[in-house]
Amino acid sequence: MKKQLRQSTLENLGLGTVIDIFKNGKLPVSLDEMVDKVFGKKGKRGAMVISGANGIVGAGKVMQFASRLLAYEIPIIALDLPGSPDGLSKQFKGLAKSFGIDESNKIMSSIIRMNYDGKSLPKQLKAYNPAFLLEAIPEHLELKKSHYNLFKKEYPNIHIWSVTSGFPSKELGVGIAHPAFPHEINKIFEIVEEKPSTQTQLLWTMGLIPMQVSDDWSFVLDVFFCGLLQASLQFCDQNNMPYWKADKYIRKIIGPNPFRAHDVIGAKGSNFLTWSCLHHLAKEYGHLFEPDKQLADRKESGQNWYPANHFRPLVNRSLNKDAEKQLNTIVYGALFQMTSIMLKEKRADLTTMNAIGELCAQFTKGMLAVIRKKGKKEVLETIKDYHKIYPNAAKTKWFPEVFDDLKNDDWQQLYVNAEIDGENGIITISRESYNSDVNDELNRAIDWLIKNKIKKVILTGDFHFSTQMVGADTTEFYPAITDTKEGERIALTWSKTARRLHDDFKISVGYIHGKRCMGGMLELMMHCHYLIANENLTIAMPEITLPVVPGMEGCHWVIRKTKDKDREKMFKLLLGGKQIKANEGLGWLVDFTGNTEKCLQKAWEILNKGEKALSMRKIDTKALKSVTFKEISKSIQINPEAAEVIARCIHESCSTDLEKAIHVQAKISADFMVSKWCRKGKIGVEFDKVEQN
Amino acid sequence: MKKIKSNCPNARIPYGTWGSSYFPAWQSSALAEVNIGQFAGESMAEIMSQRKVRVSQLDYLIIGSTIPWHWKFWNATVVASCMGNRIPGYHIEQACATGLQAIVLGASQVQIGASKAVGVLTFDRTSDSPVGVFPERRSYRRTEVISDVWDNFGFDPSTEKAMLTSAGNVARKYKIDRKEIDELTAYRYEQYFNGIDSGFIQKVAVPLEVLSVQGKPLGKIVSDEGVRKISYESLRAMRDLDTCVTSGTQTHAADGMATLLVTSPEKVKDFSSRPEVQIEFIAKTEVRVHASTMPEAPAIAVQKLLNEIGMSMDDFTVVKDHNPFAVNDAVFSKVMNYDWKKMNNNGSPLVWGHPQGPTLTRVCIEAFEEAVELGGGYVLVFGCAAGDVGIASVFKVY
Repeated sequence: MKKQLRQSTLENLGLGTVIDIFKNGKLPVSLDEMVDKVFGKKGKRGAMVISGANGIVGAGKVMQFASRLLAYEIPIIALDLPGSPDGLSKQFKGLAKSFGIDESNKIMSSIIRMNYDGKSLPKQLKAYNPAFLLEAIPEHLELKKSHYNLFKKEYPNIHIWSVTSGFPSKELGVGIAHPAFPHEINKIFEIVEEKPSTQTQLLWTMGLIPMQVSDDWSFVLDVFFCGLLQASLQFCDQNNMPYWKADKYIRKIIGPNPFRAHDVIGAKGSNFLTWSCLHHLAKEYGHLFEPDKQLADRKESGQNWYPANHFRPLVNRSLNKDAEKQLNTIVYGALFQMTSIMLKEKRADLTTMNAIGELCAQFTKGMLAVIRKKGKKEVLETIKDYHKIYPNAAKTKWFPEVFDDLKNDDWQQLYVNAEIDGENGIITISRESYNSDVNDELNRAIDWLIKNKIKKVILTGDFHFSTQMVGADTTEFYPAITDTKEGERIALTWSKTARRLHDDFKISVGYIHGKRCMGGMLELMMHCHYLIANENLTIAMPEITLPVVPGMEGCHWVIRKTKDKDREKMFKLLLGGKQIKANEGLGWLVDFTGNTEKCLQKAWEILNKGEKALSMRKIDTKALKSVTFKEISKSIQINPEAAEVIARCIHESCSTDLEKAIHVQAKISADFMVSKWCRKGKIGVEFDKVEQN
Repeated sequence: MKKIKSNCPNARIPYGTWGSSYFPAWQSSALAEVNIGQFAGESMAEIMSQRKVRVSQLDYLIIGSTIPWHWKFWNATVVASCMGNRIPGYHIEQACATGLQAIVLGASQVQIGASKAVGVLTFDRTSDSPVGVFPERRSYRRTEVISDVWDNFGFDPSTEKAMLTSAGNVARKYKIDRKEIDELTAYRYEQYFNGIDSGFIQKVAVPLEVLSVQGKPLGKIVSDEGVRKISYESLRAMRDLDTCVTSGTQTHAADGMATLLVTSPEKVKDFSSRPEVQIEFIAKTEVRVHASTMPEAPAIAVQKLLNEIGMSMDDFTVVKDHNPFAVNDAVFSKVMNYDWKKMNNNGSPLVWGHPQGPTLTRVCIEAFEEAVELGGGYVLVFGCAAGDVGIASVFKVY
């Protein structure tokens, strides 16, 4: 019997379910296989052409594809008009920083720069047999269409994708892969195509994140990104608020700095793109999207939103309660109304739509998670209040009924999914950092599995949106910086959820893949009976560097499962804050390491054979007597005050039984959160930046 | 109320769409360290926000200042950009009359139909006076250097006299008694501190916070810094700098800004929290009196204006002036046969300082606020300006 709490996003890419990956003991497709399919077999491989390669998008994508396809000797043709400013060389510094100078030189050697006049293709292109065109030329519909015809005429079988940020596929006549900023490193692509293509699957195997969205004017990211700027401008207009200060308040409630983001991307281009997106949306949907006058002015001038250096802000501004309420009404009202339209049009599944807000538009919490938390009544009231300020927005049709089903599984499980195959269950987390939403959803997923009598479970990432597990979402700690009760509540709540992985299942296997697993996410995973990790993956407990005291039982849980002789390694991990490779944690933190296939197979084997597959390290629930680490704590150089508290937390939480340890750790963690040491650290400084006027 | 014909019947000052910074004495606050044009623009946005006015509704900006500031060449446009609205406008300058003249020009701009909603914004920073270097080939030094604030105070090139001398001249001309000047000054201080205690000043002046270039707090402008209570006895004990002029009976240099709006009558409801209140410009005049007798000029201007429009001092609900010297008010009282105790309620520049450009704008704002509190009536505002000029204006509040 197979069951899912909600559909896996992998299925949108034609890659099946996550539980099938474990069952089959391998990933659904491999990079080798997809390269062959898209570019041809070795020796006969065609080229990838990126046109508009000197632009911000084009140059970023040239670097991204060249670095990821280097081993396959695929020529990457960077095509642009002669005289266009060299955008590729600008990227080299960043490339060298990521890959080192030697590797970067190799990557650059796979890039072939070609010029063309825009009307005909260079003759020498033929020698490279173009198989795949990623078009990144300016946003002019007719220009783009004639560009495709040029290629189709010469290379009828070429696969063409546009990176357009607004034109639908039905207007362009080609598929769309709309990438998110910053283009050289952001892995997200919004894909518009009738069914998942081999090119989309190629992106997935390259470690990129393709997301399927519908074919409508502007895609989900741009509705959020441009819509937020539009709403922010409306707020600024209502309160004469300078953009730099509005950014601060918007960052506090939503996450991004919309004005700064436009300046960073390049105001000239981004102002035009945002205006263009809103302009087309307004033509399609009406006043809600009508570009603000200030934006219309700045798309012509390309002027930055932030003041020039010689006019750095002089008069401080603050929000009174009325203005704060208005900020919430305008920003959320506009975004809720826009989201209702996207939901009605089914522009993406809910998980994807929510993730696009977080991963591409920098929302602290995805818009759907925000809507879910506020509830239908508050959402509708916010939209109505917004219409009182902007009556014209009410003229744009919107759909209150899309918020009727907030209790449905699709709405309830935006970050955490569960799948069942026979007696085995799997829980997948699609968010890279742990927050209260993930915590709630994880509890619901566990409840669902238990309800379905599942006693054996694997906890892992979703093999799609989450390419690493970075730890706790530190913005969740902000209330705890001024209130120990909040700190204790968060630590206790999250720890209790983590313990369910241990207590509610006969076998639980945490499988870590991707780049790294750190902090709170590692604490969560270590609660599973078994911890399996890809061998070269990075593991760390970086709390001391922030500094905070681990709150999800990291100070005693592993130690209780580890032999005396190995405990020192965990102390070093906690007190040193350094990263280790998963291999180095074998036997005391990690139970099994290997390549992806070996890990997948071992996880499934453990689920089916239990201790016959791998012996389980049991947890010692009693007070531990022999925990000593004074010498280690003395040798710690970074944040000695935090090291002392973490050392005390290890000592006190290990010196009591398991039942009490959860409270000991939560209290010490919460007490430290309000200390001056935490306030002076990364989280405290960030908190002050965001929260204080 | 008498019916007097307005010279700008199509212009109104919407009630409450105004405000000023406090006027800290020169060199006493963070304002001594800023580009005052930028400060004025950003402060206007803040003040209008508190008054629930969107600056995007304005279509023109008239700025007034008297002391050169960095990027002054760019005139009202650069200040408008700092305010957050790219509108056109111009800069006017008439020494200490600037603050009133700018309002009159705002009314004219609306009256002629050129604009529907005009921002009037006046400002100056007397602290750290800029220094001008002028090639003067006919002067024996060939190149002249002028510290804009103090060198000009000290020397009127037309009369070769200092401003302070003009006050002494007028005191002697009108046989003003030093004792009366000290009494008058002590009374003006009492009026100001009553205005503070009653919360009147706080209705006009808006606290502002100034940021450093790093975005950190540089200072708060939350009072007319430097003004302290002064007793009649201590005024009596001060030594004469000229006849009837002591350091206590003259104003002090300050920094600050003040702003208000002028709109068409139909637009008042879009801006004012009390659109039923009408504030209308009636008339204005200016005079230039004999050399080095500046403090009598305002009285002469008022005399002329009242004759022109057929009003008497009894017709006014509020009378308020720019009084850099206490002598100004004593002379006005003599010339117009008007009790100086009846004017300048809640404060005047003699006490709260003189940042030049915005001084008479703040006087007007305080006068309008007082007239509205009193249920309306005619408002007389007047003052003197460099060059022995007097300016006077009448407004109607109803």
